[in-house]
Amino acid sequence: MKKQAIPIARERRWRLAGVLGILLTGITLILSVDGLLVSTLAALVLTYMLNPILFRIERWGINRSFGTTLLFLVAFGLLVIVGLLLTPPLLEQTNSLVSEAPKYIDSIRNFSGKYDKVLSGYLQRYEINVGARVAAFIETSLGSFLEQLPAFAGRAFTVLLLIPFLAFFMLKDGRAVSRQLLSLVPNQFFELALSLSHQINVQIGGFIRARLLEAVIVGAVVYLGLWLVGAPYPAVLAVFAGITNLIPYVGPIVGVVPAIIITASNDWSTLEIAGVGSVYLIAQIIDILFVIPLVVARIVNLHPVTVVIAIVLGSQVLGVLGMLISIPVASVLKLTLTTFYGHMTQYRA
Amino acid sequence: MINYLWDNIFKKSGSASVKSLTLKGNVLFQDLGARELQLIESIVHQRNYQPGEYIFRQGEIGVGMYLLAKGAVDIIVDHGEAEETTDKQKSVLTKLTVGDFFGELALVEENGRRSASAVASTDCVLLGLFRPDLLHLLESHPEGGGKVALRLAEVLGRRLRETTDRIAVLKNELQHLQNQRSEP
Repeated sequence: MKKQAIPIARERRWRLAGVLGILLTGITLILSVDGLLVSTLAALVLTYMLNPILFRIERWGINRSFGTTLLFLVAFGLLVIVGLLLTPPLLEQTNSLVSEAPKYIDSIRNFSGKYDKVLSGYLQRYEINVGARVAAFIETSLGSFLEQLPAFAGRAFTVLLLIPFLAFFMLKDGRAVSRQLLSLVPNQFFELALSLSHQINVQIGGFIRARLLEAVIVGAVVYLGLWLVGAPYPAVLAVFAGITNLIPYVGPIVGVVPAIIITASNDWSTLEIAGVGSVYLIAQIIDILFVIPLVVARIVNLHPVTVVIAIVLGSQVLGVLGMLISIPVASVLKLTLTTFYGHMTQYRA
Repeated sequence: MINYLWDNIFKKSGSASVKSLTLKGNVLFQDLGARELQLIESIVHQRNYQPGEYIFRQGEIGVGMYLLAKGAVDIIVDHGEAEETTDKQKSVLTKLTVGDFFGELALVEENGRRSASAVASTDCVLLGLFRPDLLHLLESHPEGGGKVALRLAEVLGRRLRETTDRIAVLKNELQHLQNQRSEP
């Protein structure tokens, strides 16, 4: 038995180095190639959304390759129909919003200008000009955005082409690639790696589906509420609220700001603005009382402090994208560490 | 073209016959048709072990079962409390050969711990069927997955009955020994 110990240990080391090497190369490639990170993440989201449907297609006796092709054709058709239905109002509202942007910037300048006077009264030694600074910031941001628009559009086109391409192969061959990688794992860690990959898969899949459902519910409630109170651009504001809601804690606050600015700029009364605010409040109450406890919290079991630290770290490393992916990354890291720690220290009963 | 390249990157090894022969001869898969067997072939993991190498250790969390396609495996129980037990504290429960399978309880028990260790006594080829793959099979192909699950339940039931019978025999022997001791 002892004679075999050395070759087994050597083989284990090589296999482990191979697996880690492949994983690290993949991660480096994704992080270093421009646009590949966003494409891969978006393709992952698409894969996790479509996978349950593919299971149902497989139940009809259709093989995975044909099922994936069929699913993509149907999804593409649906996307075109939904796009045709939703694009005109969204485009119309966005164009209107852009054309009226100077009005809103002026409104912010005037609004904060009032408070500048009050503050200057208290702090006479300091030159306070919040209104001008905020307006300058918005103008500069808008200007640099318009300057970078051609380059951004080019990159977006590449990303949009890559997403369905990557998602197609992730759906069709994801399991095969995962099995191939698992086959390289040393025997000693094989069951652990298999179990871990399954748990990560279930957790990320559940998390993505839950958060998207949450965003849709919040977006729908905001749309309905804004439409009822007669606020302008309900579709654009609802989509924005749904997307920003994906960022925990900060997102819902960011989501409400444009609606308040727009209604305040349109000379709405304080009561009417409070009505708009209460629409977002109702959306958040529904989210906090029903959607999060029933759907999201069961999937990710992280302490609120861990969530905040993860979001801050995510924003430092990858900006808004980092904030969006910080929670699933943190939960995967927690799962991996606890599983490995459990295996190394407590596997004996 | 893309499919051609992709298929070549993930080309299957030439061990499909070993796999299919082992699976066909196993009681768990005896109700399956050719297509369903192909499906099982695609989800089992083939693993090679050297003599003396542990397949799993007693106390570890088990994820699935193994079918012996080649070689022999010893099922060992550690009686020692310490982490490193000596050979004297280990006893070989049984020796398994080609066609045998073990660890099937882990397929139905989530986070259940292995009740014994499995060690390769020769060069071994094992086919592993694991809980996540069985769950996937039940979800994507409920008919085939159901047949396997039913056979699995039958095997576990039989093993439970055998264990119950063995406990009854041991209890009788214990009673007999106690009676002998109490007699003057």
